[in-house]
Amino acid sequence: MKIFKTYKTVVIAGVLLLASCAQEDQPKESQLDFSVPVKTDLDKWIGTNFLDPYNIAVYYEWNQNLVDNNKYLFPPLVSKVQPAMEVVKKIWIDSYSTIGGANFVKKIAPREFVLVGGVNLNTNGTVTLGLAEAGQRVSLFQIDNLNKKSRASVTQFIHTIQHEYVHILNQTKPFDEQAWSKLTPSGYTSTWYNEATATSRSLGFITSYARLNIYEDFAETAATILTSSKAEYDAILAGVTDATAKANIKAKEAIVVKYYKDAYNVDFYALRDEAQKNTDAVINN
Amino acid sequence: MKAKYIYKCLMISFAALLLGSCSSPEVDAKFDQNATERLSGRQKELNDLLLSSAEGWKAVYYTDSTQLGGWTHLFKFLPEGKVDMASDFDSDTKTYTSQYDIQVGSTVSLVFTTENRIHLLSNAADYPTAGLLAKGYLGDFQFYYYGQKNGDIIFRTNRNGHFLRFVKATAQDWTDLPKNTPIISNITGDMTSPLFRLLEINDGTTTKSYDFDYNTDARFGTGYSLDPAVNTSYDLAFSFNPTGAYSKTPLDVKGQKLTDFLYSSTDNTFVATGKDGVKATIKYTNAPPIVTDDYKNFVNGKPQMVLGYIAANLYTAPTTSDYFRFLITKVNASLPAAQSISRIQVFFNSAFGTYIEYRFNGGKPSIYHNLTTTENSANKTLVLVHDSWDDGAALIAAPAFLKDIDAQFTNPIGFYIKKENFKISFSNVIYTMTSASSSFRMTTYQL
Repeated sequence: MKIFKTYKTVVIAGVLLLASCAQEDQPKESQLDFSVPVKTDLDKWIGTNFLDPYNIAVYYEWNQNLVDNNKYLFPPLVSKVQPAMEVVKKIWIDSYSTIGGANFVKKIAPREFVLVGGVNLNTNGTVTLGLAEAGQRVSLFQIDNLNKKSRASVTQFIHTIQHEYVHILNQTKPFDEQAWSKLTPSGYTSTWYNEATATSRSLGFITSYARLNIYEDFAETAATILTSSKAEYDAILAGVTDATAKANIKAKEAIVVKYYKDAYNVDFYALRDEAQKNTDAVINN
Repeated sequence: MKAKYIYKCLMISFAALLLGSCSSPEVDAKFDQNATERLSGRQKELNDLLLSSAEGWKAVYYTDSTQLGGWTHLFKFLPEGKVDMASDFDSDTKTYTSQYDIQVGSTVSLVFTTENRIHLLSNAADYPTAGLLAKGYLGDFQFYYYGQKNGDIIFRTNRNGHFLRFVKATAQDWTDLPKNTPIISNITGDMTSPLFRLLEINDGTTTKSYDFDYNTDARFGTGYSLDPAVNTSYDLAFSFNPTGAYSKTPLDVKGQKLTDFLYSSTDNTFVATGKDGVKATIKYTNAPPIVTDDYKNFVNGKPQMVLGYIAANLYTAPTTSDYFRFLITKVNASLPAAQSISRIQVFFNSAFGTYIEYRFNGGKPSIYHNLTTTENSANKTLVLVHDSWDDGAALIAAPAFLKDIDAQFTNPIGFYIKKENFKISFSNVIYTMTSASSSFRMTTYQL
């Protein structure tokens, strides 16, 4: 009986619970605005070339949640967006797709590109060219300044993407950090921007920025090789007179090459040659 | 038994809670609509409002009137999120089209989502004062909708929450915008404009002069008292219109607030006129507001002094005037490619008298202009008077390629000479030689 009584109470309580709010208004259709915004030709182009094939969104319209609000930045000129993204497609995506396989970039890629027109100048006078956040979002600055006909301009721009993409690859599969950190342990500095490139190279770093930490060092080493022709890279090495420094840069290069082979089965030098071929195609067209 | 009672009590109170919880579902609504409806209503209201003005809207955007002036912008909002825009930020007052959006976050905001003229104010790499490094002109292009007042739209800016008012524009506003450019040029001046600006304030009985330190890029100036005993200064934050300048920070003279400075083309001044003879005038002058007695160390009979302009260190000095650079560049252009002026050294009262040595790079030998000096004690200037030219060995004819720059040195009204309180690259004392009749100013080391 006791048990029956207990159940009775529970049943009554349940009925009350279910019935108590029965007379309340039921929700109507959503009050949020789900209408599709008007798509410009540029939006359609981005859809066809980035969103549909690679699931990569490209944000060129200002959204303050995607940028650092303490910086004085502004959106790019609309006319500069497509040329910049054509460079990205040709030199970065096409090179990796050809050498790494058609699905390489589809599997590992930032899911968002944020384009900014202006220079990301810091209060210490340095300039941030790009940012990679959590392997998901790459922010590219100075879109307004990209000149497709200038090799220097295209190289600097694509260096930023290659650099950030190397970070994303590293975040997916780490490189041999122990081996790397043994090569030039004393050269790293947070005030890298006060250092001349020549000085940094004489210490075994490919650029001054590489001296921030081993991750930037790896990304800079890989990106510099990818954005230089073999002759240009050889010239950089030839300019390093210190034998130890030259050996260290070469040792770093070897780790990069091995990483691409072991982690992704990519021939790094073939990738470099493909990127150079595509760079020539961009500049000459 | 005890546990049973506790259980019963619990069940009864639970049932009571259940029954009581929904007993009064009606809540007194504070608003007619819910939050989502209100936000989307505000969104539509703002967009309709922006589209409602046939000639668009005008906003004089003061990003921070404690250190910057204002920039006039005209906007015409179009369907499908397009906006036409023009600004007097620089001499390009043409209209450009870009995109805008009404975004909903914590509140409704107007955002200019693709680049146009208003973004010139938030370019980190283009900053008008050293203090604004990486901050540009402190501009925003996301404005929170605050409300309407007398037909104007009131916004608050994104970063610093300043009020920004959009006023309905007229067709006249669009035709007038390019007319701001010549007015701005008048206060900016060019390389031949006199180097100094004065702010003269007449309080109805007496006129006091202030050294007006004006930053043309920032559109902001401060008048500092010339009387060292008086510690007054006046800030003026200018925006421009076809007739003159408007200062957001009023100039307070005897309780009158002067804001509108009309440009007078007859004497190239900006004048704000109040009642009872109160007046404030901004004018150019070749005479420095504060003239020193430093020239007295260089007059006849004093020991030797040598002032040397060294191109490598002093061409870019802030006190070297544009007109001086122009004349130097002109001389260099007339020389063969490898040659240029390396130094201009003025020897006062040396064993060989007073003379200017023009020294060159690229193996060209020096040329000497021998001079005498006279003192103008009333103006506190030193006048250099031509005597002869030589090449170190023999007298020569006046070299034609030095004619223009040399004419500045021998101008009949003379030079103000000032010992500066800053150093450049070396510990040598810096002197400036400023022409009393033009915008020619040379920065020199005392050698």
